[in-house]
Amino acid sequence: MNFMTIARWEFKNTIKSRKFLVIFFLQIAALFLFVMVFNSLAENLESNEALSITPSLSGFANVDVDDQGGLFTRHLNSEVLTLKNSSYQQARNRLERGLTVGYYTVPPESVTLIQDGDQVETILYLDYRDPKRSVVREEVNSTTKTLSTALTTSYLESYRPRNITKQPGVTETTSGESVPLQLIRKVMLSVLLFLPLFLFGNLIIDSVVGEKERKTVEMLRALPLTSADIIIGKSLAVVMVMALQVAMWMIIILGAGFQLKNALMVYVIVFLTTIPLVGLTTIIATYSKNYKEAGIGLTFAYIFISGLLILPLLGYIINQSTLANLSPMTMVMRLSSGETIVMGEILLSLTFIVIISLISYGTSITLFQRDKVIFGPRPSIIRLTMELMGLNKDKKTRSHKRRIRN
Amino acid sequence: MKLWALVKKEARDILGNRIFLLVVVVQLLIILGTFGLALSTALVNDPAVLDSYGVNSAIKVGLSEDLNQSTLVDDLEAQKLQIEYFNTTQEAKRLLGTDLAAVISISSEGEIQVEFDTSNVFYPVASTKVSKAVDTFQLRKNLQSRELSEEQIKVIQEPVKLRIINLKEEEAVKIALDSPYFVEVMYGFIVPFILLLPFFMASNLVTDSIVGEKERKTFEVLLMSPLPSSMVVIGKIIPILTFSLLQSLAWILLLDLLQVPIFNTLLLLLILFSVGLGFIGVGILISVLVDSTKEANSAITLILVFTTFILFVPLFIKSGMFQVLFSFIPTVLMVKIASSPVVNPEVVVYLLPTILISILIFLGTVRSFRHERAIRL
Repeated sequence: MNFMTIARWEFKNTIKSRKFLVIFFLQIAALFLFVMVFNSLAENLESNEALSITPSLSGFANVDVDDQGGLFTRHLNSEVLTLKNSSYQQARNRLERGLTVGYYTVPPESVTLIQDGDQVETILYLDYRDPKRSVVREEVNSTTKTLSTALTTSYLESYRPRNITKQPGVTETTSGESVPLQLIRKVMLSVLLFLPLFLFGNLIIDSVVGEKERKTVEMLRALPLTSADIIIGKSLAVVMVMALQVAMWMIIILGAGFQLKNALMVYVIVFLTTIPLVGLTTIIATYSKNYKEAGIGLTFAYIFISGLLILPLLGYIINQSTLANLSPMTMVMRLSSGETIVMGEILLSLTFIVIISLISYGTSITLFQRDKVIFGPRPSIIRLTMELMGLNKDKKTRSHKRRIRN
Repeated sequence: MKLWALVKKEARDILGNRIFLLVVVVQLLIILGTFGLALSTALVNDPAVLDSYGVNSAIKVGLSEDLNQSTLVDDLEAQKLQIEYFNTTQEAKRLLGTDLAAVISISSEGEIQVEFDTSNVFYPVASTKVSKAVDTFQLRKNLQSRELSEEQIKVIQEPVKLRIINLKEEEAVKIALDSPYFVEVMYGFIVPFILLLPFFMASNLVTDSIVGEKERKTFEVLLMSPLPSSMVVIGKIIPILTFSLLQSLAWILLLDLLQVPIFNTLLLLLILFSVGLGFIGVGILISVLVDSTKEANSAITLILVFTTFILFVPLFIKSGMFQVLFSFIPTVLMVKIASSPVVNPEVVVYLLPTILISILIFLGTVRSFRHERAIRL
């Protein structure tokens, strides 16, 4: 139980640090911002019945319009298009100078034509030197379609003889949640729950690399403690801090009105994920010479690990693959959205966590035992990996064995 | 000349740093990744693009057997949808969302029932295409039941006719995908994100350069050199700002190669220079306040989270109340400038606050750096 002593020291030191507390609360402030953004995005998607996450693009493209009746202009999307009333000559001049992407012209007698049941011919001039041409084309097409549908219905109604009963219509029903909404509601929620895990990498770096930079690692190694005690003790302290942070974030997320089913089970899975993550961070910390090197290593490792967690989850949304359950994030998303999960799927995820934990802590302990890794000169990562895999023995070990044989 | 010597030394340090080169490579991967993502999402969101690439086999529609002889089948095929027949609707509904994008059946009263699963990736395209086919089918049926002249039918089928005239096609800019979704996502978010990436890294380089000297205890020697302390800071930031701008310029050229033309490069570089000055200013401020690289990294991460929020959230929010304020945000300006061959001169007015704030941040932090306590070792 020597590792508990180390864990206690480290935990106390961390909690007492004023800088840690500042960062801790600033992270919570950042969480509030995230929650605000996700809520606003989800509301936006739901209220507009939008199906994709695209930028709002206020006043993205300029379009000149000649519509004296005003009916067509009213139906153009004025949020994306900046509309300007122009005559043909003015508009052509502006098009020539590249000041507008398109010129939309509607006959001056459009309203009379509609009242008389005649076709209205509109023209859109598009400047092909502007990449936004497709946006303008789409917006004008959409306006034409909206007005056409309304007019077709109205004309059909007016041409309906009295003896004809109304044709059976069409009913459209939808089920399921759209992919963008799933991304916002489920994926983003899972990402939020896992975010604190990635914010405390610096703690383990400080705990291990700090000893090297402060030259106290020699003393630590001289203590009557095994390398396993030191590594597990230091990691345990960080796992405890993360457990606290995850709990606080979950309370905030629940308080913000997010629906989080199976909250306790979700907490357990997120908490268990901290163990291999801290283990992997410890490998980087044990190998790194200084903070700078560890910081860069940590950034790349976290990008890779985030990918490992998120990609299976996206895969699960697209085709419900069983293998996607390997990622604890998939499991958290399914649990938090109230999906039924069989024991085998939970075991799959837990087995993955246990295997990565064993490998990462085993590697960290082995590295910490090696004088060359701690005091230098360090072997290269490739050589070290080969040695750990038993493919390339250390020179000293080989010469030692040779001496024994002789 | 002394300043120039310091600039050269810092530039050599950056270029000799393998991690810096690695970061450049990572940015390249991010650019290619986001570009690929924008292309693929445009593909599943835009029916016209999907048609032009001929990948419609992915969109399958389930039909009940009794619709086999209906003209609706022709309308669905005209929309290039794959049709699969099922004996019962229930059988088809079981595959809805996974194998099928929509299920169409006809009720005993003759009503067409269309069911979609919105969780299907192709739902947006499937919905548009099925609706078009069903509308055409319904319209035909409606017209058959009425005695109308050819002229009346023509008007009912197309009450509003749109003719599109393409101007200056010979000078057309080539775009990787002439789709509204692709253009909106690329210019509306990805372009400003890519161009600002080097500056996100720049603030880290500043803290590394200044705090690194503190940690290595070499800062004292540097400050003893016959250069004013403000010149020391300027000497350190010139190469960082130059490398960041060069990286952004390289990404502009890369985007041009990927057929995402970026316009008004000089004006964009001016915005990037201003934003970079602000980022670097904050980097200096952090370097002054902290004692170690570890603290600097933590502070920079937090600052970047808030900066990302300020710079990118306005791109996704429609807010009548704050819209005028959003027009001053550098990323919002970048969207307009990068996508327009000719830029409206009033953009410069919107740019002024960014330039002013950046210069103030920069000057303020350089001034704070000159303070003796700030450069304590």
